[in-house]
Amino acid sequence: MRTPILAATALTLIATMAPAETFRWAGTTDPQTMDPHAVNSAPVLGFLNNVYEGLVRRGKDMAIEPALAESWEALGDTGWRFNLRQGVTFHDGSTFDAEDVMFSYQRASSEAADTASWFAPVSEVKIVDAHTIDFLTTAPNPIFPDSIANFMIMDKGWAEANGAELPAKDAENHATLNANGTAAFQLAERQPGLKTVLTPFDGWWGEVEHNVTSAEFTPIQNPATAVAALLSGDVDFINPVPIQDAARLEQIPGVDVIQGIEARVIMLGMPHQAETLKYGDTGEANPFLDVRVRQAVGHAVNVDAILQTIMRGSAEPASQLVSPAMRGYSPDLAARPDFNVDTAKALLTDAGYPDGFSFGLKCPNDRYLNDEAVCQAVVSMLAQVGLTAELDAMPVQNYWPELREDNFDMYLLGWSPGTFDAEHPIRFLAHTPVDNLGTWNFGDYSNARIDELLPMIQSELDEAKRQAMLDEATGILQQEAAYVPMYVQPLVWGVRNNVELTQRPDNFFILRWVTIN
Amino acid sequence: MLAYIIQRVFQSIVVLLLVGLVAFSMFRFVGDPIDNMLGQERTGADIARLRTQLGLDQPFPVQYYKFLSNAVQGNFGVSYRQGRPVSQIIAERAPATLELAAVSAVLAISFGVVLGVFTAIRRNGVAANLIMSASLIGVSLPTFLIGILLIYLFAVELGWLPSFGRGDVVDLGWWSTGFLTASGLKALILPAITLALFQMTLIMRLVRSEMLEVLRQDYIRFARARGLRDRSIYFRHALKNTMVPVITVVGLQLGAIIAFAIITETVFQWPGVGLLFINAIQFVDIPVMAAYLMLISVMFVGINLLVDILYYFIDPRLRVDRTAAAK
Repeated sequence: MRTPILAATALTLIATMAPAETFRWAGTTDPQTMDPHAVNSAPVLGFLNNVYEGLVRRGKDMAIEPALAESWEALGDTGWRFNLRQGVTFHDGSTFDAEDVMFSYQRASSEAADTASWFAPVSEVKIVDAHTIDFLTTAPNPIFPDSIANFMIMDKGWAEANGAELPAKDAENHATLNANGTAAFQLAERQPGLKTVLTPFDGWWGEVEHNVTSAEFTPIQNPATAVAALLSGDVDFINPVPIQDAARLEQIPGVDVIQGIEARVIMLGMPHQAETLKYGDTGEANPFLDVRVRQAVGHAVNVDAILQTIMRGSAEPASQLVSPAMRGYSPDLAARPDFNVDTAKALLTDAGYPDGFSFGLKCPNDRYLNDEAVCQAVVSMLAQVGLTAELDAMPVQNYWPELREDNFDMYLLGWSPGTFDAEHPIRFLAHTPVDNLGTWNFGDYSNARIDELLPMIQSELDEAKRQAMLDEATGILQQEAAYVPMYVQPLVWGVRNNVELTQRPDNFFILRWVTIN
Repeated sequence: MLAYIIQRVFQSIVVLLLVGLVAFSMFRFVGDPIDNMLGQERTGADIARLRTQLGLDQPFPVQYYKFLSNAVQGNFGVSYRQGRPVSQIIAERAPATLELAAVSAVLAISFGVVLGVFTAIRRNGVAANLIMSASLIGVSLPTFLIGILLIYLFAVELGWLPSFGRGDVVDLGWWSTGFLTASGLKALILPAITLALFQMTLIMRLVRSEMLEVLRQDYIRFARARGLRDRSIYFRHALKNTMVPVITVVGLQLGAIIAFAIITETVFQWPGVGLLFINAIQFVDIPVMAAYLMLISVMFVGINLLVDILYYFIDPRLRVDRTAAAK
């Protein structure tokens, strides 16, 4: 009888022993710094969401939920009050209170910080007591809590003790390589460009859902190498999977492909002020000033065909500057201009271009998924209605300067609203370029009503009125064909099939939702 | 000898300055780092401020002069991407590249020389012909393809070796080595083979043709007539005389191994300076690019100098000529 008992104890031992689950994952880019206020870029903010926390955070469905603030309420028209969670400690053991929020606000809104624009509407921050803090705004601001979901709180004492009071852009400080947040994971090892190791933080205030004991991130640049690493089991998760490999990976046992759509809308932009064409029929009057020409482009582009062939069916067509998952999307305006060569030709004839014209299309070749291939498809589709586009594709670091110099007749642009709200693209893409508005409106689109609507949308507290104004703005942009939105970019992740995780449309990978079976 | 070296060092400095000038003038075509450094919500004022802060608004000669005067003091600036001193980043990454290059060079030279001699001696043998045909693969397939093929065979299909990275490394303070751990050694195999393959075939073909040339010469015939043993003829008399051109090429190829490591490092995600350079190009990280290019050119110039000096020791004729001329 002894052997079975021994065997049984051995079995229970194995069963009760929490398996040491080291989780390894790979992405294309290494987060360039561990400082949450130095850089406003998705790889950095996405990674640091596992280490630092904000007052609020986004849930699996992108909705705002409490994090370091247990609750918040609007102070009439003057701002927002955040009631802070009590008993929260930082990774080094020091306690969290309103002083840390105040310090982080000052740090994140300083001139040296890339995140300063989040706080543009803020006039003053006031500590009410140790666990209550007010953010006063210059105008009513209904989406302020949404807009600071990535505003991460750093410990004041830690930053001051280590000389990291301000984020450093062209120098190094303690917070570049080290971190002290409040989130579910703490930074155990940081070797830039090599690997970054996170371990669970035992003192975390939240309820633990994951069973990860250690997590290791490695950047792998070459997509073929990343796929090989996933197949060989050297990593458990890769982001992204190259679209052309997704179908093949799905066939392979042991590996799952998770597909979704990102928040990023890919669109065509055109010059609204330039008097002449820069390429093709150089020097001729700019045809895109005529709304019918812009509408013709919308009818000439066969988005479904692009999605079928280039995106392998994993993206969705877009009709607006935001995807349906965003707050403030206009459901009644969901229809794209239908693909119809005859309509497009008729519009061009009306506009006085029965034989079309030729112009230059600028396109990045390493910024969006298969961007150059999409542009090539657009060129051949426009050719069918008589428009001859000369494609010039280039790396993204050459692309933005070209657009800023107005060296285009048409260009490709992707936009992912940082606030997950329809107001965001209106502010950056549709408003007339002045000061810090319309900063990505390369075509200089300008509409008095849009400019008038933007501040009203920004300060409207009534949800229904706000939506009505967003609908109006979206309607104007559609009628005027200010941009030609094409599709929402897909997200394709690859995981070993013993791993469960959640894909969020902002392409952030949240480690506390990972379970390894 | 000393005058010769001083003269060569002086020439080297001129070459370095020229390389720096060409490299620096090309950075403007690589693109604009500003957009990578600022986020989506940047304003025109932010762009102008950062441009001034980085000195990018200044004319090209001023930028180049600043870079040189700092570089002479050993200060290569701060990486735009990582916000850390470039010299520190390169020092972190250099061991990975140097270890990989050293192993590849040893592989390439040892296999290259042995196979070259073998194929020369057994000119018409079946094995020699097989090796010669197989070596065509080495010269004709691009490095990244060989790398990917090796990864799929040995990491994905067979599961024997890791698909990427350097494994565990031991930190010796000033040097991190992968030679001391099992996973470090395993991780080294595939990239080293990938990097060595091209050089190996090159050396092999060179040794073979030089050897065939030498074996036709009179002194080899006389040696045979004297009744010397084959081994002595091949390895003492013939091989030694084939080595002068081989050393020149091997020296230059050593530099090429380090420079070509860029592709191998990208395929295997090998954390060396080549991968750092690729990252730097994508981000337009000018300080890192400038420092890398300067280092590579210093290395090439240094290797050239070394090869020239080595000639003296290998080929006595050069020594005699020089001293005779000096008299």
